[in-house]
This record gives sequence, C-alpha cells and structure tokens, in this order.
Amino acid sequence: MKLFFTSKGLIYLLSAALIVAFIVAGISGRVNISFSEIFTMLLNFYYGLESKGELLSKELVFFWIRLPRCVMAILVGSSLAVSGAVYQALFRNPLVSPNILGVSAGCTFGAALGLALPFQSFALVHVMSFMFGILAVSMSVSLAKVIAIKPVIVLVLAGMVVLSFFNALLMILKYFSDPFEALPSIIFWVMGSLSRVTWDNVLVMGIFALIGIILFITLRFRLNILSLGDIQAKSLGMDPSVFRIILITASSFMVAASVATCGQISWIGLIIPHMARTLVGPKHERMIPVTALMGGLFLLIADSVARSISSAEIPVGIITALTGAPIFGYLMFKNRGSGWI
Amino acid sequence: MDLILECRSLCFAYNGDNILNDISFKAEAGSFCAVLGRNGSGKTTLIHCLNKILTPVSGQILIHDKDIASFSRNDIAREISLVPQEHLDIFPYKVIDVIVMGRAPFLKIAASPDENDYEIAVNALKELNAENLAEKNFNRISGGERQITLLARALAQATKIMLLDEPTNHLDFNNQYHLLSSIKNLCRSKGLSIIASMHDPNMAAIFADDVIMIKDGNIMVQGSTESVMIQKNISKLYDTDTSEININTTKKFFLPNYIIKDC
Repeated sequence: MKLFFTSKGLIYLLSAALIVAFIVAGISGRVNISFSEIFTMLLNFYYGLESKGELLSKELVFFWIRLPRCVMAILVGSSLAVSGAVYQALFRNPLVSPNILGVSAGCTFGAALGLALPFQSFALVHVMSFMFGILAVSMSVSLAKVIAIKPVIVLVLAGMVVLSFFNALLMILKYFSDPFEALPSIIFWVMGSLSRVTWDNVLVMGIFALIGIILFITLRFRLNILSLGDIQAKSLGMDPSVFRIILITASSFMVAASVATCGQISWIGLIIPHMARTLVGPKHERMIPVTALMGGLFLLIADSVARSISSAEIPVGIITALTGAPIFGYLMFKNRGSGWI
Repeated sequence: MDLILECRSLCFAYNGDNILNDISFKAEAGSFCAVLGRNGSGKTTLIHCLNKILTPVSGQILIHDKDIASFSRNDIAREISLVPQEHLDIFPYKVIDVIVMGRAPFLKIAASPDENDYEIAVNALKELNAENLAEKNFNRISGGERQITLLARALAQATKIMLLDEPTNHLDFNNQYHLLSSIKNLCRSKGLSIIASMHDPNMAAIFADDVIMIKDGNIMVQGSTESVMIQKNISKLYDTDTSEININTTKKFFLPNYIIKDC
C-alpha cells in the first residue's frame, strides 16, 4: 500500500501555493504591473487617494480586469473539480465528469442561442446559458425518474440522450447562423475563456461555489457511503435518491454558473479528482478539500498562461485539455492495479 | 427465546409479477435462520424486503413488536445490518475505512467517524481474527477477505439482527466453512439473530438452527433444521430426486440421485 500525504500538510502546502500563484498571476500578463505598483495601488485604494497617469490605467487593468479574472479562475476551477469528484462518487465511475447529465451541452446551446440573437447582450447570453444548463439536467433527471429502474445507469443513459439532443440543437444553430458574426463567437465561446469576467459574474459564481463546496464538505463522509452503491447505502441508513438529487442540484448550479460565464473548460472535472485521490486516497473527508484547492490552483495557472503566453489570448480550454490529457494518462498508469482503473 | 424479528404475510411484486406471496416467519435472538431456494425463487428479494431496501406490497415486518413501516432508514440501520452479495469494485478504500462506514447510522449527517468509531471498527476486525487486513486495499484482497470485511462492517453497525445474502458466494472450499463458523459463533456469543439466504442445503444443514424453504415465491416449508432438512423436502425444493447420506447420527448430506448413479 502506497503512502498517502498527510492531508493537513497537503492542504497547507496547496493553500500556500494558491496564494503565491495568485500574486504571480496578479503581476503577470500583457500589461506589466510590478509588485511594488500593486502595493502602491492598494495603499492608494486604502487611503482613498487617486492614482495618476500610467498608474491609473494600470489600476483599471488590475482592479477591473485582472483581479476579478483571477478570483473567477479559482472559483470556477474549484467548482468544476469538486463537482467532478461528487459525480464520480455518485456514479461510481472514474470516467464521469460533471457534463454527464448534459449541463454543459445545455449551457453551450443556451449561450449559442443568445449569441445568435440579433441584439447582442452578454448578460442575456449568461442568463440563457445558465437556464438551458439547468433545463438539460432537469430533463435527464426527470427522464431517469420516469424509467425508474436501476437509477444510476439509467441516469447516465438519460444524460447521454439529453446531451446528444442539445448537441444536435447546437449544430442546427451553427449551421444556420451568420458565418461572419455569430459563428466565430459561438466557436470561441465553446472553447472557454475567462476574458470579460466582471465583478458581478464573480459575485454570482462565488455564491454558487461557496454553497456547493460547503455542502460537499459537510456531506463528505456520506459521499463515501453513496459510492458503495444504492443497496449498501440503504442498508447503512441512507436514502440514496434524496442525496443524489441534492448533490446533483448543487453541482449543476455550480457547473452551469461556470459554463455560463466562461464557456466549456474541459478536463478539470475529470483529472483534478483523480490527482487528489492519488495524493490523499479515496476518502472524501480528505479528497474533497484537496480537490477544491487543486482545481482552483490549476485553473488559475492555466488561465494565467493562456493570457500571458502570447500577445493574443489563447482560449483556456485549450491549455486545460493540452495539459489535462497527458496528466490523466500518467495517473492511469500510476494508479493501475488499485482495482479501480 | 427472545423474539426479535417477525415477518407477517409479506408480499412483494415487481411490475405486476408476484415475487413473494404471504411470507410469514419469526426470528429469535441467538439463532441462525437459513433461507433456501432455487435461483430466482425470491431469496434475495426477501432479504432486501426485511430491511426495507425494497418496499413490500403488503404485509408487515416487526422488530421488537414495532412495525418498521414507520421507521426511517437510519432507524432501521441501527437495528438491522446487511452483508451484501455483490462485490463491485469501488474506490480503493482501505479495509478499515470500509468497516468504519458501518458507524454511519450513529453519526450525524455532517459528521465523520472519530477515533472511537475507528476503535469499534478495529475491534470488529479483531473479533474475526483479521486485524492484519486493516490497512489493505479493499479492491486487492481475496473474495474471502472481502466477505470478512463486510461481516466486520455489519458488526461495527452493532445491530441485533444481521442479514446475509448468500455469504459463501465466490468463496473457496475451506473459506466457506470458516466464514459460516465465524458467523455461527457471533450468533451464539452476541445473541444475534441471523437470517441468511444460502445456495447450498448441506451448508444450511450444518450451520442453521432453522430453515425456511422458498419455492416460486411461497414458503414451501419452514421449521427447525432437524425437522425440515429431510430428503423429501430437498427433492421437492430443487426439483430433483435426492438421497440422504448419513455421516453420523446427527449429520447428514444430500446429493442428487443422478450424481450418485454415475459414481
């Protein structure tokens, strides 16, 4: 049996890494802002002084573009990662990501519909995306409820049905949309990006992320039991269908809020829970907090790379997929024979 | 004897098909009751109805004269534990972590097991002489060791009634006897009421105090092992002629006739 990290030590280490990454992300980017300038800005802000000249424009970039974006990266990364961890436990399947019930497909279609509309409004795109994401999950859950046998497998199948349906709708929309205006914006949106994040977005995301993460940490031991399957969970005194609905609802709201503002950011929901499990073991008491921290850290770094590496911004979804795929391959190799992969 | 569990005219149907009809029996403290029947006769369904994993169409299940219909799942889990048949691969939990899950019915919804719960889990393993398993990966131990782990989890649940669903499935020749001996010892030493569905009538003849024979969802016959485990009943239950082979005055063994002819 391999030795796991002590989870407390790892949590301190990850928290420290997150703080360092946050500071580095704050000073890096296409607009050069040094550490001392940030310090001056914060002092000015604290004493209500106005910055002048170049510092003023840097202040705008820092407070209104970079800072909300970095906070958002952490919130979205954590949310996607813990949702993935919860879904993997609920569905007892290592290949499950939070998209399995169609939340991302619904969000993407909603956003595309918003982008294809003649009057462009990002607020409308966010709202429509969120609503369609929740609608897609509700459809999956209702379909499974109607079928009412073998709840877990049927839920996965119902998710596939709904997911394919919304993907088809998205294709219709792409096919008929204006190839010069709407189509590129839909395609860029699908790739996922944290540009254009505002403090309002951060606030909404923050509320969902906080509620979700607190709920998952509260139910951490129950997740172990749910991962044993319905028969054993019932014999240990739990009502799996009630917990499933609560957990699916919370994750869906988190993921829908993420996708509605930042588009599809792939792989985080799949690989981060695996990384956490490799480091601290499968017990959710330990792995949920570690997953949340690692997810936030991973997306913060990926997004900083995406916006700093070249003069034009790369969609962050490309960075996460590009790094996520080999990491997942390595984890599969490392965990071989643990009886799970 | 102390009556613990009573099942009164239980019926279960699935999609309009009657699976169990009018099942009634009583289970006492410190006694081992075996449920026998052919594949698909409803043994597992009965076990699952007893702790409300499945909801019967009609009938009552009483624990200490109280109907469990009004019990919450958690209340039932404090009274009845289950050693399940399935061994699906789960996350690579350590054996001790699987056992400590047996403490779930005693923990608040937001709580995790504390040192005391882990101590109970370790003691459950000690009782089965398997402390060495504690730190092993549940997915990488043998079928027999997994069954011991699940039995230890049921012990950690500290219930007076223990249900076992074909406990000797997937076990080798010696492990089957070993496991059932352990269960029988627990049954006697702790005064547990054990209800186990079983494949092998010979195992039931050795270990059970009482036997319930289920045929096509009905109780064919029930009673003490000596009175029920006779050649006529076994032949009828499994739809094949059998012979009784006496090992000594108390122990006997059943074999299908067509096997004996071939010998």
